[in-house]
Amino acid sequence: MSSVPTNVPSVAPDVGPDVTPDAARDRGAGRGRRRELQAAPKSARTKAEARLGWWLAGPAFVIMVAVIFYPVLQALWDSLFSYRLTAPDEREFIGLQNYATILTDGVFWSALGVTALITVITVFVELILGFILAMVMHKAIKSTRGLVRTVILVPYGIITVVSAFAWYYMFSIDSGYVNNWLSWVPGFDDQLNWFAQGGTALFVIMFSEIWKTTPFISLLLLAGLAQVPEDLSEAAAVDGANWWQRLWRVILPNMKAAIMVAVLFRALDAFRVFDSIFIMTNGAYGTEVLSLLAYRTSIGRLEIGLGSAISVVLFLLVGLIALIAVKGFNVDLAGGRGGRK
Amino acid sequence: MSTSTEALTPDEVEGQKRARRARRNTTIGWWVITIVIAVWCLFPVASILSTSFKTPGELANGRFFPDNPSFVNYEEILVGDSRELFLSALRNSIGIAVIATLIAVVLATLCAYAIARLNFPGKKAVLTVSLMVSMFPVISLVTPLFNMWRTLGLYDTWPGLIIPYLSLTLPISIWTLAAFFQQIPWELEQAAQVDGATPLQAFRKVIVPLAAPGVFTTAIIAFFIAWNDFVYGISLTSTEAARPVPAALAFFTGASQFESPTGAISAAAIIVTIPVVLLVMLFQKQIVAGLTSGAVKG
Amino acid sequence: MLASAALLLAGCGPADDTPVLTWYTNPDDGGQAELAQQCTEQAGGAYRIETSVLPNDAASQREQLTRRLAAGDTSMDIMSLDPPFIPELAEPGFLALPPQDVVEATTQDTLEGALAGATWKDTLVAVPFWANTQLLWYRKSVAEEAGLDMDKPVTWDQLIEVARDQGKDLGVQGARAESMTVWLNALVESAGGQILENPEAPADQVQTGLDTDAGRKAAEIVSTIGQEGLGGPGLATQQENEAMLLFQGDNGSFMVNWPFVWPATNAAVEDGVLPEDLPEDIGWTLYPRVSEDTEPAPPLGGINLGVGAASEHQDLAWDAIQCIVSPEHQTQYFVTNGNPPASASAFDDPSVREQFPMAPAIRDSLDLAVPRPQTPYYNEVSTAIQQRFTPPVDVDPATTPAQTGRFIQEVLRGESLL
Repeated sequence: MSSVPTNVPSVAPDVGPDVTPDAARDRGAGRGRRRELQAAPKSARTKAEARLGWWLAGPAFVIMVAVIFYPVLQALWDSLFSYRLTAPDEREFIGLQNYATILTDGVFWSALGVTALITVITVFVELILGFILAMVMHKAIKSTRGLVRTVILVPYGIITVVSAFAWYYMFSIDSGYVNNWLSWVPGFDDQLNWFAQGGTALFVIMFSEIWKTTPFISLLLLAGLAQVPEDLSEAAAVDGANWWQRLWRVILPNMKAAIMVAVLFRALDAFRVFDSIFIMTNGAYGTEVLSLLAYRTSIGRLEIGLGSAISVVLFLLVGLIALIAVKGFNVDLAGGRGGRK
Repeated sequence: MSTSTEALTPDEVEGQKRARRARRNTTIGWWVITIVIAVWCLFPVASILSTSFKTPGELANGRFFPDNPSFVNYEEILVGDSRELFLSALRNSIGIAVIATLIAVVLATLCAYAIARLNFPGKKAVLTVSLMVSMFPVISLVTPLFNMWRTLGLYDTWPGLIIPYLSLTLPISIWTLAAFFQQIPWELEQAAQVDGATPLQAFRKVIVPLAAPGVFTTAIIAFFIAWNDFVYGISLTSTEAARPVPAALAFFTGASQFESPTGAISAAAIIVTIPVVLLVMLFQKQIVAGLTSGAVKG
Repeated sequence: MLASAALLLAGCGPADDTPVLTWYTNPDDGGQAELAQQCTEQAGGAYRIETSVLPNDAASQREQLTRRLAAGDTSMDIMSLDPPFIPELAEPGFLALPPQDVVEATTQDTLEGALAGATWKDTLVAVPFWANTQLLWYRKSVAEEAGLDMDKPVTWDQLIEVARDQGKDLGVQGARAESMTVWLNALVESAGGQILENPEAPADQVQTGLDTDAGRKAAEIVSTIGQEGLGGPGLATQQENEAMLLFQGDNGSFMVNWPFVWPATNAAVEDGVLPEDLPEDIGWTLYPRVSEDTEPAPPLGGINLGVGAASEHQDLAWDAIQCIVSPEHQTQYFVTNGNPPASASAFDDPSVREQFPMAPAIRDSLDLAVPRPQTPYYNEVSTAIQQRFTPPVDVDPATTPAQTGRFIQEVLRGESLL
C-alpha cells in the first residue's frame, strides 16, 4: 500500500531551473528567472530542449494520466446512474441520488469514523515509534547499524496480506496463542475472542498496520534527521541545553518539513486501509472502513452506480486531506528549505 | 607510549578506565536496543513460520511452537493439491511484478532525466501529477478499471494488472530517480568530452556508473510495491491466468471447502517472504539510501 | 530467477485442436479435477476438460463467476454453482438452459431438495451434481448423561437445556458469514415461516417474513445461545470448521454441521491429534427442529453445474456434464471427497456405507432439506441478515427480526448501504 514517494521534502524544493546543470552554466548570465526574460523570443535551442523533455517525460506522464484520470471520469459518470451489473437493462439516470443515499446512511458515517480513528491513532503511534527508530538508525554504532537497518526493512518489504495473516493467526481464538501468553495478566479473560467486537479487533488491526508501516515513516524521518545541522545541536549543547531541550528547540523544528511529509503520506495511506481488515474481519463488528465499503458495494454487490459514488466520495476526502495538509506543508517546506541553506 | 602512561596521574588512569567502561556499556546498550528492534520486526514472521510447520490438528494447540514440526503444508502447496494454484500464482506474481518494475524504471529513468537535466514547460505538472497519482485511493479505480478492462479484453490478463501497477510504481520511481539524478555531477560528462571522449563514451563511462545504483535501488522499491498489491489482484483477475500471490492466498482450502487452510496459507506466506528478506539482506544500504535519497548522501 | 523462467516456460504446452472446456470448480479435495480427467478420457478426444479453481467461500465464488459472466466471457463452459446464487445468474440470462434430453438423462432419480436448488421460476437452469445437508452431530456420552433419546426428534430447546445444565458448548455457526444465513433459514423454515414471502418478486416489491412468530422464535434461539455463552467463546467468529474444532474438544456436546466433519475428524485421529476413541463417541441424527410439532428444515447446500450463455462449446459442455454427474461418479466423489450425491441411486453403493455410516441419515435429510431464499438478490438478503444477526449475543428476539426485515427492503430499494 505504501506507494508513496518518501523523498519529497528533499526533492520538491529543488525543482526548478536553479539546480539543473543548464541553469548552473547560465548562472554567470543571471539567475533562472532573468534568463527567461532575456530569452523571451524562444531560441531554437530552448524549443528543442522542451521537445526532448516531453519526449522523455511524456510516456510516463501519459500512462499515469490515462490510468488515473480516465477511470475517475468514468466513475464520476457511472455514479449518476442506478446501475447493477446483473441487471444492465434497468440502468437509469438518477442524478445525485446515489450521493444522497450514501451521505444520509449511518453505515457510511460509521465507516468514515472508523477510517478516521485508524488513521489518527496509527499515524500518531507510528510517528513516535518511527522517530525513535530513526534516532536509533541515525546514532547507532557501526557494528549494529547494518543489522538495525536490515531488520527494519523486513516489515517494510513484506506483503501486507502476509502481515495481516501473521497477526490474525497469532490472535485468533482457534489457531492463536496470544491468549495463552497473556493468561497471567490479572483480569485478562483467556477466552477472549479478539475479533468478536470492534474495540479488540481494531486493536489488532492497528497493531499490524503499525508494525508494517512504522519502518516507512522512520526512514522518512531519518532523511529529515540527516538534514538537522549537527553544529546547531552541538552549539545548543555548549550553551547548556539538555537533551530534551535540544530535541524540542533544535532537532524537531529543523525536521518540520520531513515530519509534515511523513504525516501527510502516512495519513493518506492509512486512510486507504484495506488489506488487513479484509483479511482479519472483512469489516465485521464495527471494523468497516471506506475502502471496504466501496469494494463490497461495487465488486461484491455489483452495484456499479452506488459503488462509483462511494469511490468518488473517498477520492474527494483524500483530496481534501491532501489539500489541507499541503496548505500548511508549503509554508513549512519553505521554512525547512531556509533552514537547510 | 609506555612513558606517557607512567606520566599519568592516578586520577587520569581512573578516568581512562571509566571512559573505556562507558564505551563498553554504550556498546552493550546499543546491542540491547538492536535486539529489541530485531525481535519486534521479526516476530510476526517467526510466528507465521512456526505456524507453517504445524499440522492441521496442531493449529489449535495454543502454543507458539509446533509439537511435531512437519512439512505437510509445504508439500501441499508445492507438490500437493494446491500446487497448481500456488505455483501459477507465483509465476504470475513474479512475471507481472518484474515486468511492471522494468517498464516503470525505464519510463521513470527517462522522465527523471528530463526533470533533472532539461528545462521544459510542464515539468512541475509532471511532478504534481505523479504526486497526485501516488496519493490516489486505489479502491476508487477498481470499479471503472474493471469495466474498462472487460470492454478491452484486459480483464484477467497480465497487461490488465501491469498497467494499473504502473500507476503504483511510476510515481515513486520518478521521485526517487529525480532525486538521485540531481546528485550526479553531470559536469563530469563534459569534462570527459573535453578530454576527448565521444558523447556516447562519456555517457557510458561516466554517467551510467553513477546513475546505475540509483536505478537499481528504484527497481527494488518498485518491485516491493508491485509484489505487495492486493486490491487490483483480487479485483481484476479471476483465474490462474493472472492471479497474483496475495490474491491467491485467499483461495487456499483445507481438505474440504469448510476446513481452514491456515497451514497452507502460512507456508505460502513464508515462501513469498523469502525474496523480500533476501533483497533486504543483500541491498539494505541501497534501499535505505533510495528511500531517504536526496537527504542522506550516498 | 532461474526457477521463475522455468515456470514461465512450463506454462506453454504443445498445441492441439481438441476443444478445451473450462470447468470452474469450487475448492475440494481434488475430486472434481479427477472427474475432469476421467471424463476427458471417456470422451475419446471429443473434448478436454480443464479445471480452474474458485475461491473457498461461497460469496467470493459468486463474485468471480458473476463478474466473468457479466463480462460475456466465452470460457465459462462449465461452472460449479452454489444453489443460492443460481437465481442471480439465471434471471439476466447468464446461464444456458439445459436441453430437454440432458434434463431427462440427469434428473431421473435426483433428490427433491437438490432439484429445488437447481430450479428458477419452474425451469431447471443447472444440473444437480452433489447435494449437501447438515446433520445434528452429538457426543453420545453427553446425550446419555442428559438422558436424551437421540432416536426421537430433538428440538433446539432441548439442546440448549442440556448445554446449559452440563456447562457444555453447542457447535453452531455465529460468525458474520454465509453460515449465519444457513442457520437462520433452517430455524425460520422449521418454525413454519419464510425469510422472504415472495422471493421471485422484483427488488422493490420483495416482502420479508422475519417479523413473524417464526422469525421471532428463530431469533430467540440464536439470541439465547449467544447471550448465555452456550456457543463457546469463539461463537462470534465461528464458522463450520471452528464449530467442528469446538465439538471435538472437551466441551463438545452437540453440533449442526455438514458431513465433512466425519472424514476430517477421522483424519485428525489418524494424525494422533485427537484421542482414538473419539469417533466412537460421535453420533448423528436429523437436524434439530424448532418445536416438537414441526418438521426440521435442514440446510441445503451442494453444487449444481451450469453452462455459461456465452460459452462457445455448449453442446460439448452438456455432454461433459452428463458424464460428470453420472451416479457412479457421484458415488466416487462422495467416497473420495465426502460430498454427498444428488442422485438417490448413488447412495446405494456399498462403498458409500463403509466410508459414511451416516449416509442414510444424509439421504433422509436431503429429502427434508429446504433451500435458502431463491431470489436474484440473494447476496443482499444474506449480507443484511448476517449483519443484523451477528454477533449472536446482540440479537434481540423482540426487535432484531423486524429491523432486519425493514433493512433488507431498504437495501433492495437502493435506500440503504450494506
